Amino acid sequence: MYFHQILLFIIHKFNGERSQTASYYLLKGKKSGQTIQDVTYFQLHSFFSLFPKLSKESYDEAIKILRQNEYVQIENAYISLTEKGFQQVKNMEKPGFNGWLYRGNEQIFWKRVELIVQTLSQFKFQQKKFIPNQKDIEIQHFVKKYFQKRDFQSLQFYTSFKLQLFQLLESANLEKFQKELFVYRLSGYKKSGLTWDQLTNYYSKTELDLKFAFIECLHILIDAISKEQHPDLFDVLDGIEVEVPLTESAVKTNNLFSKGYSIEEVAEMRFLKKNTIEDHVIEIVSADPDFPVEPFISNEQIEKVLEIADKYKSKKLKLIREYVPDLSYFQIRLALTKGEEVNG
Amino acid sequence: MDKLTEVLQSKFGYTSFREGQKEIVEQILAGRDVVAVLPTGMGKSLLFQLPAYLLTGSVLIVSPLLSLMQDQVEQLKMIGEKRVVAVNSFLTFAQKENVFQNLGAYKFIFTSPEMLQNNRFNKILASIDIAYIVADEAHCISQWGFDFRPDYLRISKWLQSNPHSNVVALTATATKKVVEDIEKTLCMQKPFSYIHSVDRPVIAYEVKEVETQQEKKDWVIQRIISTSGPGILYTQSRKKSEMYAEELKKRGVKVSYYHAKMDQEDRILVQQQFQQGHLEWICATNAFGMGIHKDNIKQIIHDHIPTSIASYMQEVGRAGRNGEQSIASLIYCARDVEQAFFISIKDFPEEIDIKYYFQNDEKIIQLPETTTRTLKYWKEELSEKETIELFSSIKQAKWLEIQKLYDLFQNDQCVRKQLLHYFGEELITRPNNCCTVCSLNPTEILYSREPTVFKKDILNWNDRLNELLPL
Repeated sequence: MYFHQILLFIIHKFNGERSQTASYYLLKGKKSGQTIQDVTYFQLHSFFSLFPKLSKESYDEAIKILRQNEYVQIENAYISLTEKGFQQVKNMEKPGFNGWLYRGNEQIFWKRVELIVQTLSQFKFQQKKFIPNQKDIEIQHFVKKYFQKRDFQSLQFYTSFKLQLFQLLESANLEKFQKELFVYRLSGYKKSGLTWDQLTNYYSKTELDLKFAFIECLHILIDAISKEQHPDLFDVLDGIEVEVPLTESAVKTNNLFSKGYSIEEVAEMRFLKKNTIEDHVIEIVSADPDFPVEPFISNEQIEKVLEIADKYKSKKLKLIREYVPDLSYFQIRLALTKGEEVNG
Repeated sequence: MDKLTEVLQSKFGYTSFREGQKEIVEQILAGRDVVAVLPTGMGKSLLFQLPAYLLTGSVLIVSPLLSLMQDQVEQLKMIGEKRVVAVNSFLTFAQKENVFQNLGAYKFIFTSPEMLQNNRFNKILASIDIAYIVADEAHCISQWGFDFRPDYLRISKWLQSNPHSNVVALTATATKKVVEDIEKTLCMQKPFSYIHSVDRPVIAYEVKEVETQQEKKDWVIQRIISTSGPGILYTQSRKKSEMYAEELKKRGVKVSYYHAKMDQEDRILVQQQFQQGHLEWICATNAFGMGIHKDNIKQIIHDHIPTSIASYMQEVGRAGRNGEQSIASLIYCARDVEQAFFISIKDFPEEIDIKYYFQNDEKIIQLPETTTRTLKYWKEELSEKETIELFSSIKQAKWLEIQKLYDLFQNDQCVRKQLLHYFGEELITRPNNCCTVCSLNPTEILYSREPTVFKKDILNWNDRLNELLPL
């Protein structure tokens, strides 16, 4: 049920105000203004870009099953939980994902660890020539450099790396089967990891469930690595966290803002639509609470919008605008984004 | 000890050459163009690797298959060669620049035919010292070869427009016609050609026709659960490979499926588990085989009629590399002929597609990527009418080849003799276990398989970590 639970959780957060594709784009990490802004509106940071390779077929299939089981309903193109679905979510533990921060980069962490363990294992058995499981040149280069900086053939490094990995797995807040997934996906001397198909058979779970559980496991592990306790693993994390959680295009827009250009001017300079630049503003504000919004909206206006949203328990732009017709949709979106920062 | 044997020992760790190797290496060193046709597993790679150590300059290896290129690079790195690089579309811009700046420092430069279109790459190639050029999987050059890659023809133009050193063409399977094509396309001057017999005396050919698909499935399953592997079952679709794996697993066989739709990591794990002996059987599509280094494969089973004789030979050729008696079994129904034809032309453009492609913007058309690439090539070379004629004649040739293969399996002549005949060879000595038609006693070849009690291993992360990284 893992994948389904995640979907129910997200649909719950969307509060019946989004279509059924919104959660798909969220999990895929679509870098559109709408999706990025949804992340902030609905506090969905943990799920953003969790599974960039998710296929539309698997997603649609899951939604179909959730509908058949009457956990979710679709009305006027909006998807929401049924009472039965809500009961499911109520008892759910909060998942340990941190999609906003890692955005699929946890796979890079995984590949590095996989290659390090494979190498250490082969060397332990005097096999200095072996074929790396990781074919990605970037990964190979990283691990090579990582080893070059250390006395990696020494017993001391071997022991401390293993101990840190062991300690991390032991203490991390993971389910037993997640630790098994992690360790049994690793390979070493005369020991190959298990394929997803083999693990699927062993646990009688679907492949997607296991893959999500694996991603959660990686996020929890990365979160738990500390410089003091796991110095050797800490160095493997280089570049895994997204530093500026902005799309490339938004970064360019942001640079122009900092030079004092207006939305209209940036749009003209970048040959983009005004709408797109407005999306960037929302994205920038989501990522950087200190970004000055005064040029676009006043504090009173923000408060007004938030009052209305609170009063009518809705973030539907159309509804809010009925009460503040002098504000643009962009301004309302901006106000809602600021509001999330205060609450969240 | 002569110089060649010395390098063979110091670099590759072998004490003596295999049949044909020394001759070919000597010809390459003498600067002659060479065509070498050697079955897989006969030390083909060594032919282009060894001379590099006796000549100055880099070796440029053109390879049409990216996965194969990667395997070759890994194999060289395994023997401790660090001066090896693959220049292909997988490199990022920055990586490419980095490589370009030091290109001459690499002893082995692998590349794809597409990359030879890159002007910057060509300029740098022209500025460095090239010892010789290798065309790997050269049968792809010929449209008569079973996996023709039109992109590969670009190498011909490249050779014509670039002054170059001698060319070495390597392939595992080529008929006389294909060899002629290779020589012509690669502009070879009186090449030395070495054509090894395609005969593998240790492989016995078993052929069986049944009435229904169900009978076929029952036979395959019965064979696999009652006789010993390791083995590969070749099927025609991903679905079938998964179905067979599932059925066999239920009966206690250690088996996995393998096809191109799996994650790369999982494909590697399956290969390893098979190589390490953790898996007895692989149920695979034709995606399986490239880069498999396993010499004790006992059985190859085909549950269908292959789309060409050459691809069939390549697949069965994975058995018995250790020189032990092995068996290749093919079980089919009459209706499989049409299926084989359908599969072999499924990516072919129809006449209407070709017309559309020639008359409209290339990007609009919805065709598989390989088809589009093929068409793109021919659009530059031929007229619309000629292209239509070309595809119709290739289609016809495919149909004839499949018919021929079907006839070969059906008639009452020696299978081995006919297979050899296709490659222009005569059968001289017939092994004891030859084929279904001559003489074959599978029980002499196959040991019976002990039925295993399927016991579920309990996973324990702590123990496993200690196995991977023992103290």
